[in-house]
Amino acid sequence: MVTLKTAASKPLQVNPLKLSQPMGATLAFLGVDGCMPLMHGGQGCASFTKVYLTRHFSEPIALQTTAVTDVTAILDGGDYSIVESIKNIRKKVLPELIGLYTTGLPETKGDDICGVASQIDCPLVYVNTADYEGGLESGWALTCKALIQQLTAETDQIDDNKVVLLPHVSMQPIEVEKVKDFIAAFGFQVLALPDLATSLDGHLGEKQAALSHGGITVEEIAGLADAGLVISVGHSMQASAEVLQQKNSFIRHLHFPHLSGLVATDSLVEQLLTETRFRHPPAVVERWRKRLQDAMLDSHFSMGQTRFLVVGEPDHLVGLCESLYEAGGRVSVAIATVNSPQLEEIKAEQVLVGDLEDAEQMADQYDLIVGNFHCEALAHRHHKGLVTRGFPNWEQVGNQLKNDLLYEGGAYFLFECANVASAHREQLEAS
Amino acid sequence: MSSKPNVKELLIESSCEHNSKKRTPCNAPTPGATSGGCAFEGAQISLFPYADAVHLVHGSMTCLGSSWETRTTKTSWQGRDFTQMGFATDISVNDVIFSGEKKLTGAIAYIVELYAPEAVFVYSTCVTALIGDDIDQVCAQSAEKYGIPFVPVHAPGFVGSKNLGSRLGGEAVFRHLIGTKEPDKVTPFDINLIGEYNVTGDMWQYSHLLDELGIRVLSSLSGDGRVAAIRTAHRAKLNVIVCAKSLVSLTRKMEEKYQIPWISLSFYGKRDTSDGLRSIATALGDPDLIERTNQLIAREEEQLEQQLQPYRVLFAGKKAVLNTGGNKSWSIAAALQDLGLEVVGTSVRKATEDDRTKARKYLGENGVLMMNPGAEQAKLIDDTEAHLLLAGGRSLYTAIKKGIAFIDVNQEKKKSYGGYQGLLNLAEDVKNALENPVFSLVGRKTPWSH
Repeated sequence: MVTLKTAASKPLQVNPLKLSQPMGATLAFLGVDGCMPLMHGGQGCASFTKVYLTRHFSEPIALQTTAVTDVTAILDGGDYSIVESIKNIRKKVLPELIGLYTTGLPETKGDDICGVASQIDCPLVYVNTADYEGGLESGWALTCKALIQQLTAETDQIDDNKVVLLPHVSMQPIEVEKVKDFIAAFGFQVLALPDLATSLDGHLGEKQAALSHGGITVEEIAGLADAGLVISVGHSMQASAEVLQQKNSFIRHLHFPHLSGLVATDSLVEQLLTETRFRHPPAVVERWRKRLQDAMLDSHFSMGQTRFLVVGEPDHLVGLCESLYEAGGRVSVAIATVNSPQLEEIKAEQVLVGDLEDAEQMADQYDLIVGNFHCEALAHRHHKGLVTRGFPNWEQVGNQLKNDLLYEGGAYFLFECANVASAHREQLEAS
Repeated sequence: MSSKPNVKELLIESSCEHNSKKRTPCNAPTPGATSGGCAFEGAQISLFPYADAVHLVHGSMTCLGSSWETRTTKTSWQGRDFTQMGFATDISVNDVIFSGEKKLTGAIAYIVELYAPEAVFVYSTCVTALIGDDIDQVCAQSAEKYGIPFVPVHAPGFVGSKNLGSRLGGEAVFRHLIGTKEPDKVTPFDINLIGEYNVTGDMWQYSHLLDELGIRVLSSLSGDGRVAAIRTAHRAKLNVIVCAKSLVSLTRKMEEKYQIPWISLSFYGKRDTSDGLRSIATALGDPDLIERTNQLIAREEEQLEQQLQPYRVLFAGKKAVLNTGGNKSWSIAAALQDLGLEVVGTSVRKATEDDRTKARKYLGENGVLMMNPGAEQAKLIDDTEAHLLLAGGRSLYTAIKKGIAFIDVNQEKKKSYGGYQGLLNLAEDVKNALENPVFSLVGRKTPWSH
């Protein structure tokens, strides 16, 4: 029986999981090629975000700030600091796109960034992402929506070969690439928006770039509306798909709450077969399905005796829990950063919106944690196993290349969880 | 009366060398061309190491959500380490419209009941400062209600840089904690360590030596610090600023109010550590203490020399280029020289006047002080045929292009380079970098492109 609790009664966050909207917006703009994300707010918001993402991806992060001060907060309606910022950025580099987004500070004083944007004569997309509303997932999703609304040209032409993939924020770069390739294997040309697969995948470039390097191009975003199909992954991305359909009512929309595990991947294959004239999926896909089946059986013994705490962004959480459930993992507690309609679907004994203090108070109810870096101290204090997933992971390298999705990633994920769970049990017995 | 500090006064700190030259403080960041943290981050850096106090951030999620548990400041506090926990009011639209004070009061009640901290620091942030939440009043009422210190910290990000925020943090401690309690006992050799945050246990590399000499660390701001101790800081005989220019305002004010002299020093590298110990003893002024300090230094240096000998053989003739900020521009240079490397250049772009003078002293006449390291360092490596680049992650590409060893100095370090023994950690890292084939291999040309 699933009970959904929200920690609304608590007047604070203790050991927070929740991340801010501007951070989600930053990530989304980093999935556009040659972009300079420009955060409209105090300099610290950008600095914290930059350091945070640099440590997670082990990559330099392009990001600038309008550096609102106590003086400009009072005297300026945003015009000065934004116009001045763009002038200063363009003195050094010429971005293909400037991604302008707000933090709580300018939203509180009521800056009209839409108005300012209309005065700017270089490519710019603006989005309101106050950090006292929503979270990482919504910041990313709002930005994706804004990119389509403001850049994509309306059309009534359709290219049936072309697919637009809208990934949710927690999909790591390699996961975006794997889903793109999976769909492409059915004969489609696939564009992802945003596309971290080619920007934050951790590749050694020719030189240190001042702008985002890789990702979908502005030109490609402009031309998205002739796609025959748009595929959204995660509840947060549904609205973006609908906005794209407003650009061309002939676009068909397929939505997947997540792409984790056997059943979800089967359903993607099924839909893609319907869309194509393929009778069977490509051989490699079928092979990976068999490997996942085998992985489920190989890991089920360890999984079946393991109680899990899973924490993360709602779209991520739903997929992780489903993967674990399919192999018999018992998710006793699932904690989401923010509320989402998806949470109702999670197969867990308890689902709540909360923080790691809540997790700590329920520490007797799980053996293994699937969650971010901040769970490490919790795992250590209460002798739990840990599989690190989600933002941030500052402890380990290689986050951008961790794939948990589809048949292939699902198999690796189950093996990792089963192995960590077994090793953890042995360690407990030995101590 | 509001406890809001006078920001302007903090910006024109008379004890800073550069303020004798500059007429106006340069504080305003340039929109679109700004890097570095905000005042809130500065306050966080200087105060969060008090592990026995809860640090409650009154604001929206960016401030704390992205920054808690980021600094490895160690503590010996036996209770729950609150430094490594995150507490935020996570204000909503509703709070922005109708004030967040009620939520703050609720959060405080919750914290006191569940965590029973020794004190609570309450940090205002941009949004809660802008909407005018009165954290002074909430703190005053809470202190009365719960009988523990509540310290309002007025360092919302938009008032300025990280450096200013550290000053504001020091200001809050000066106004609300220092001088509010008497120590159980005093000794003639009581000192306060100011600006030592015990990152990766740096402080513990030399604190045992102070113990041995009978020099007592009465309190610290704030590495391995205790709230109860900093409240008695006004009874110290000496303030020792460790590697942090930002807290000069605090020590100057303590000198004015409590007649406590201050000295500034660093514990990086052999010479600085020895000089540091010697200057503390000298400042305390006891001939016997000075004598014992010299003996201890001789003993430690000799022991270290023996341990460093194998490294010196390895590092003979090796040249290093250093590109980092602030006091590291000379303190790490000095440490590298102690290991027997030649430091051919260092960046002084972000350094103060004082730091530049010191860098010149350590590097000598032929050393290059880079004002624009991004453009200069590649050429410097070519010209000097340097073997090693120590810099922030952004410079990794330069090292790979030149095929020389690289050490990332700016990453949150995992181990201490401080004191005598920390030098061995640095030596080991330098050795590993010089022996690692990755820097030449990774830049290998693709065999199929000509």
